[in-house]
This record gives sequence, C-alpha cells and structure tokens, in this order.
Amino acid sequence: MKLRFVTLLLGAFVFLFPFYYMLIGSLQAEPDPSVGGAFPRPDNLTGRNYAEIDAAINLGRTLINSGVFTGGVLLGTLVGGVLAGYALARLRFRGRGAVFNLMLLVQVVPFQLLTIPLYVLIVRNYGLADSYLGMILPFAINSTAVFVFRQYFLLLPAELFDAARVDGASELRILWSVAIPLVKPALLTGVLLTFIGPWNEFLWPFLITKQQDLQPLAVALSNYLTTVSARAANPFGAVLAGACVLAAPAVGLFIIFQRQFISQSIESGVKG
Amino acid sequence: MRRTFTAVALGAVLAAAAACGSDDAGTGIETRGPITVWYSNNLEEVAWGKQMVAAWNTAHPDQLVTAQEIPTGKSSEEVIGAAITAGNAPCLIFNTSPASVSQFQKQGGLVPLDSFADGTSYVEGRSGEVAQQYKSSDGKYYQLPWKSNPVMIFYNKKAFAKAGIDAGNPPLGTYEEFLATSRKIVAGRGAQYAILPAPSNEFFQSWFDFYPLFAAATGGKQLIEDKHATFAGDEGRAVAQFWRTMYAEKLAGQEKYTGDAFADGKAAMAIVGPWAVSVYRGKVDWGVAPVPTPTGTAADATHTFSDAKNVAIYSACKNRGTAWDVLKFATSSEQDGKFLELTGQMPLRNDVASAYPEYFTKNPDYRTFAEQSARTVEVPNVPNSITIWQTFRDAYSRSVIFGKQDPGASLDEAAKRVDELASQP
Amino acid sequence: MTVTDRPTIRDAPDHRVPARRGRPGRVNGRQPIGALLVTPYLVFLLVVFAYPLCYAVYISFHDYFFAAPGAVVDRPFVGLQNYRTVLADPAVRRSFVNVGIFLVINVPLTAVLSLTLAGALNKAVRWRTFFRVSYYVPYVTASVAVVGVWLFLFNSDGLVNSILGPLAPDPSWLVSSALAMPTVAVYVTWKQLGFFILLYLAALQNLSKDLYEAAAMDGAGRFASFWNVTVPGVRPATTLVVLLATVTGANLFTEPYLLTGGGGPDGASASPVLIMYQRGIEQGSPDIGAAIGILLVIGVLLLALVERRLVGRDD
Repeated sequence: MKLRFVTLLLGAFVFLFPFYYMLIGSLQAEPDPSVGGAFPRPDNLTGRNYAEIDAAINLGRTLINSGVFTGGVLLGTLVGGVLAGYALARLRFRGRGAVFNLMLLVQVVPFQLLTIPLYVLIVRNYGLADSYLGMILPFAINSTAVFVFRQYFLLLPAELFDAARVDGASELRILWSVAIPLVKPALLTGVLLTFIGPWNEFLWPFLITKQQDLQPLAVALSNYLTTVSARAANPFGAVLAGACVLAAPAVGLFIIFQRQFISQSIESGVKG
Repeated sequence: MRRTFTAVALGAVLAAAAACGSDDAGTGIETRGPITVWYSNNLEEVAWGKQMVAAWNTAHPDQLVTAQEIPTGKSSEEVIGAAITAGNAPCLIFNTSPASVSQFQKQGGLVPLDSFADGTSYVEGRSGEVAQQYKSSDGKYYQLPWKSNPVMIFYNKKAFAKAGIDAGNPPLGTYEEFLATSRKIVAGRGAQYAILPAPSNEFFQSWFDFYPLFAAATGGKQLIEDKHATFAGDEGRAVAQFWRTMYAEKLAGQEKYTGDAFADGKAAMAIVGPWAVSVYRGKVDWGVAPVPTPTGTAADATHTFSDAKNVAIYSACKNRGTAWDVLKFATSSEQDGKFLELTGQMPLRNDVASAYPEYFTKNPDYRTFAEQSARTVEVPNVPNSITIWQTFRDAYSRSVIFGKQDPGASLDEAAKRVDELASQP
Repeated sequence: MTVTDRPTIRDAPDHRVPARRGRPGRVNGRQPIGALLVTPYLVFLLVVFAYPLCYAVYISFHDYFFAAPGAVVDRPFVGLQNYRTVLADPAVRRSFVNVGIFLVINVPLTAVLSLTLAGALNKAVRWRTFFRVSYYVPYVTASVAVVGVWLFLFNSDGLVNSILGPLAPDPSWLVSSALAMPTVAVYVTWKQLGFFILLYLAALQNLSKDLYEAAAMDGAGRFASFWNVTVPGVRPATTLVVLLATVTGANLFTEPYLLTGGGGPDGASASPVLIMYQRGIEQGSPDIGAAIGILLVIGVLLLALVERRLVGRDD
C-alpha cells in the first residue's frame, strides 16, 4: 500500500510541478532560472506581470467572447450530440453504419487539412466572418462527445427500452424521460470533454475574427504572448502570467466539477 | 437523407451565387466611398494609424475610413491570404510583407498601383531608386514601399567594457575583428553569447542573420537576381563560414531564447532595426555599428537588409479611388513625418535624413539608421518567394547552425533548388 | 473503415441488436425515427467535414492555389503529380519518420503509465481527490499555456539541467537532433495522460472482484494478478487508448510549432501536419499540403487497422 501511495505522490509531483513553477514564475519581478527560483522569495514577488496583461488585453470582453464561443459549442454538442448518440446506440435505421464510420473518420483527419476549404465555405459562401456563428460552426457538434454518449447509451439495459416501447411511448419521449436521466454523469463528462476544445482553440477563431472585440481569450493571449510580451518589463514573467490567466478558468471549472467528471461508475446512474 | 443533402447543397450554391452577384458591381479606380484599412498592432503604429485615420475622416466625411489592427505575430500573412481567398480583405493593409506580395499577386488579391493615372510616378517619386526593388516580375507595382527598419549591430557597452573591449569604438568591422571581439566577450564573461540571432527554423529568420551580412558583402545584391540564386558564390560562402565559426565556437547559441536576449544580458550584441532605440532606452547602454564585412567596408558604404513593410490595395476593395487617395494621404510628407516621430521607423522616401532635419537633431540616436536606410536590400520580389526562403533556411540551419553538412555544399544544393523554384510561374 | 465499431469504454455488447437482425424490417430499418434524430449531426458532418474533405482530395489532384473571388486562374488536373512531389521531398519523408519515432515512444508509454496510475487510483487511497485533480490538470490546460513552462524547464540553463548538473545532456534537450523528438513525445504523454487515465478508470470499475479473489486463491501475487486479471480485463479499453493515442499523435502540430520553433533543430521534430501547414498555408501551395494530409490519413487508417489486430486480438 505504501508503494502505491508513493507512486501516486511522485506522479502528482511530476504533474503539478510545472503548474506550480508557472505560478511562481508569473509572480517574479526578475526571472530566476536557478533551483532557488522554484521557491518564492518575498523581495522578488510582484503582481506587475498581471497588471501588464490587464492593460494590454480587455480581459472582460475576451472572457465573454470565450464564453459565447464555448457555450455555443456545448449547446450544439448537447442537443445534436445526444440525439445522434442515442440514435446510433439504440435505434436501427438505414445508414446507421455509414454515420458511425463517418464519425470515426472525423477523429482521424487533421483539422489543418480542412482549415482553408472550411474557411472559404464559412466566410465566402455563408458570409459568417467576424461572427460568433462562424466561430462555432466547425466545432458545433463534438464527435468525440457523440462517441462517448453512444457508449453510455449502449450500457443501459435493453429491458428498460422494451418496456417503455410496449407502453407505447414515442422514441423522443423514451429518450427524454428514460434514457437521459440515467446518463446524467455521462452528459457532464461530455460537457467537460467538449469544453476543453473551444476554450483552448487558437487557430480557427484567430482566422475568423479580424475584429478585436470578438476575439476569445486564447487568441488575445496568444497574440499577447507572441508580440506584446517581449516589450514587457519581464517578458519571461509576462509569458507565464498569460499562461496562468488562460489556464485558471479551465482548471477552476474542472476542480468544481471533478467529482462528476470522474463519475466513472455508470452503475450509480443506472441504479439511481 | 437525400432531401437534406440537396437542401444543403442548394443553400451553398445560392449563397455562392449571391456572393458572386454582388461582386464587381461598381468596382473601379474612380469609385469613392467608405473603406476599411488594417494596420499593425504594436503600440506606436496604432497611435500613428489612429491619428492618420482621424485626420482623413475630419477632412472627408463622405468617404469615412474604418481602421482595425491585425495581429502581427507569425501568422499575419496567413490571415491576409485567407481573407483574399474569401473576398473579405480590406482596401488597404499597412503591414504587407514584401515577401508575400508575389503570392498575393498570384492569388489575384492585389490591385496594381500602375492602374491609377499617377500610380507609377507617385511610387517612384516618393521612394526614388529604392522603388525598383519592389517591382513585380510583370513590371508593375503591386505595393507601395512604405517604411523600412534597416538592421544594424547593437552592442551592450557594459558587457564590452567588462570583457576589456573599447566600448567607444569596438573592433567589429571585419569578420576577423568581429570574431576576435566575440571570443573576448565570451571568454571575459561579458555575456554568455556574443550574439544570439533566433536559431529556429521559420523561413524569415535568415533575414536577420545571413541576409544583412550578405547584402553588405556583395555591395547590395539580392538573394536572387535574374532568376538565379546568388548566395552560393564566394561572398555567400564567406558569410556562411563566418556564422559557422560563431556557432562552432559557441559565440552564438543554437537554442532559441524566450524573452529578449539582448535586454537580459544573455547576448552582448543583437541585430536590430531603429525600433530598438526606444525599446532599449533606459534598459541597456548601447552603441551601434554597421554589420561586418570581409574587408571592413566603411559605415557609409555598407548595405544591409531593409526589413520593410509596405502598403497594398487589395482587390476586394470597391471604392478604389478613395483607397488610392487615402494611401497617398497616409504616405504624404506630413504623415511620414508623424510616422517617424511616433514610431522611429524610417519612411521609405528619398533621403529621409535630410527630409526631417529637426527630428534627427532632436533624436540623434536615429540618425545612424536614417543614413543606413539609403543603402538597403529587399527580399527579391519573385514567385514562390516564401518557399525559396524556407528552402534556404533549411539548408542554412542544417549546415551553419547545426554543422551537419559543409556550408558550401549545402548552399550549392539549396541554390539548385532555388533556381528551379524561381523559374516556375 | 470500422476502427472501433464496438463498445469500448466498457465492454457491454448490445444484446438486442443481433436478435432483431434476423427479422427483415421495413426498408428504412426498424426505427426510421433514428434517421431523424441523427439528421442534425449528419448535416453538420456533411457541411463542415465531408465537403471540405472531398474538396481537399480534389485539390490534391490539381495544380491548385487559392485565388480571390472573381480572379481568372488556370488550375489544371495533374493526376498524381502532387503525390510524387510530396513523396520525393526529403523534408516530408523525414517528418513521417519523425512522427513514427514519436508514436513508438508516446503510445506504449501512454498505455503503460495510464494503466498503472489508473490501477493505483482505482483502489481507495488517501488524498484520492487531490491525485485525480493533479493528473487531469495538464489535460484541461491549453498547450499554448503549458509550453512556456516546459521551455523554461528544459532549455539549456533551465531548472532540469541545473538539477542534473554535469549529467545534463549536451546539446540540450530541445536542440539535440536525437533528443528533440523524444522530449516532445514525453511532453505530449504527460499532457494527455489524464484523459487516458479516465478511460482506464472507467474500464477498471467493471472488473469483477471475483476474478481477483479467484486469482488470489490460486496463490497469485499482486503482480501476477495484475498481469493475468487486470491487463486482459481492460483489453477493450487498451484498444481505445492505443487507437486514440495514435490518432492524436499522428496529428501532432502545436507542440513542434511552439516547443521547438517550427520543428527544429534542423527538422528533427517536424511532423507531417507541421510540414503540411508550412507548404499548404504559409507557402501558398494547398495542392501539396492536401496531398500530405491525404497520405497521412491513409497512413493512420492503415496503422489503426494493424494496431487493432495486434492489441485487440482476443475479443
């Protein structure tokens, strides 16, 4: 038992240390790459790196943009993804295999291959440049989440559905009142899985938004990191402070929801 | 499912048709009306851009200009290229890299300035002899040479003094002197590296290590002349060998530094343009010297890389008459003066040093750069220009920075590839 | 292309489906409403995935570049010429070798580490919540943010080398052609591990306690029961982990782009997607870029088939 605990502790150290180092570095007035630099020293601590970001970026505005972008993707994934996941798992219809294979193919194709055709389609044909919709569209339904939903719907016992069908309930009604309540933990897993993508996405919103007041946080910060931070008093610290600002909301949200995220025990959902 | 697909396809076709239909309607060199422009996002240029737009809008309320910043990071060419393809590029971009002009031109994204009655005469009148370097292979101007950042060597006086080098007039003229000084700096612990140009693989990095020295050694040759690579000749080899020695003796570093190596005292020298004057003011006690040459060419005869950014009119623009007027307004003698004052970068106009005498009396630091700006070399305006630079960079990185191949052989191979690329359409 | 056409997060076969397969249903299947439910997703796939993918295939067979709307340009059909150009390009070949090195390190490391850590986490231990959070934190954080710290840790004067002292490699991690790709592979393993631990945890929950008890009765030690009970028990999850790690690894882009300054040193960490981005977007040759992308997709599909044979054999 001791061994297991030590292994886990060692692992946790390896996983957390870069984040600790990021936080310490972002608070330093002067960069200190020596071993001593890994420990906080009162005379070398400052909030100036954060103040500089705050001055360079409209944090409130970019956070709202990130929220709208991410929220749109979550909504699309929840509605479209649950319907599709349910149909793929529990309903038999023509073309099911084709849709399933298409879903798998999506995961294999690199996004960079599709970027420009997609950009032309969305901007030239649909006229969605500089709009939230244009930002959301390519990510609107997360295929990995559809896959996860399907797996969880598959786990539900068939008898439940048969009984409901015998009672004459429609498929939509079965989905809404029988299936969804049973896979709530899976839904939250899907939500958090989906959240990470658009929240951290850089290339697409960067291409699609020319207007700064539409840029999400990840784009504004990357721009800050590549161009503006070099002029900051401590570019080293400025980069790390930018990293902290981007990481904080995702990590915070994760800590709040971590129980549900990890709720691997689908039984509790099925039985409960 | 078929019905859905048809509906989607129909929607796409309709949208495309609508986009095409609205195109071309009333596009002409005389058309006037509101336009959009983009400028770069660094603080100083934003300040200049804002006042320029405000001044124009006050005088022309019927032809309002809307201005936005574009990200100037690694990817601004990507944003522009995508905008051209989608047909939503603005009328003017005050940040067009000369290296991408041939590509934008091939895409049909640019309006030749010669199509305006006074186009050619305005470009050549403003910039003089230098303008020739910006002509495209079809003999037209697709860009207005706007501003340059002629690069020179900055050195840290404190680091030099610490290593026992005369900081007032350090020996940096010839390759031999430069190497000897560098050795002294590193041995005397003036700094960890004598100089630290970014050793990474991006196509544009050679503009700040190989190219300035090559321009100086050849008295102003471009990388490609008459569709043939020039860099594998004796001068190019000597430059490559010089940098090879710097890397081999660890006078220059092979690892990219996050942050500013010159400001942090990691390197005692840097290759910089006039923008550096304001950036390092109060941070480093610096001196400036021209880039080294084999024989120690005098400062007033040394060429260097221009690091210019230009203005182009994009073909998505409808009110081209206004765009041309705004372009002339923004590059007028008065606006160029304001640009110089606000950014310290050199407008690409005839004899900038004598055109704004008060400025250079007030800011003597910039005078050296202004004098240098008369002798600058641009990246060649040829097809496939970015591919050519990437080919060069890969060869340079392999042989000069990492020493995996003989620099001469590597340059020969690259020259062969580049000759092929330059002769393709 | 049926790479993982099976329940994989947990091995729960859908008993109902084969039973009904025997009865010839109506032309549209037993529950045509399924087609309706899947419509939004299908439309989404057709518009933002299938259409651009077909377009990319089309581009790869033409001498193609993107032009402004209305510009008259000639884009002749060139057959396989783009593919020939790509295959003859040493940088492209190098990038495929590089990603091979990456996968050889990343995939087994991911599978072994995530199973080990998930196994330890699965037992009730002190500080369970703390451990869970710490393993997932890198996964939920953007690479743009974390790469900065890794650069500081692994540059030649970074903390790692200061601790190693004379043992520090020279040339340092990210500037050595031999170490750059392994360093990137380790970074990606570290970054993604949380997700794979999650997949294994779900699988471990379903292993019956009886099996372990039976193994203990036979006198199996801790290691033997891990090897004889756990490893075969989570095989479907292993298939998924291996396939997903391969697919994400083959699409490697952000890390060499940010961590090694565009695939340095001297192209030792350039990945196919990075080269595709350089050729297709930066240098304005989408035809070449598309050909690289299509070759990569074909390669990954083949690799996935082989892996499925190897890892997923007994089920």
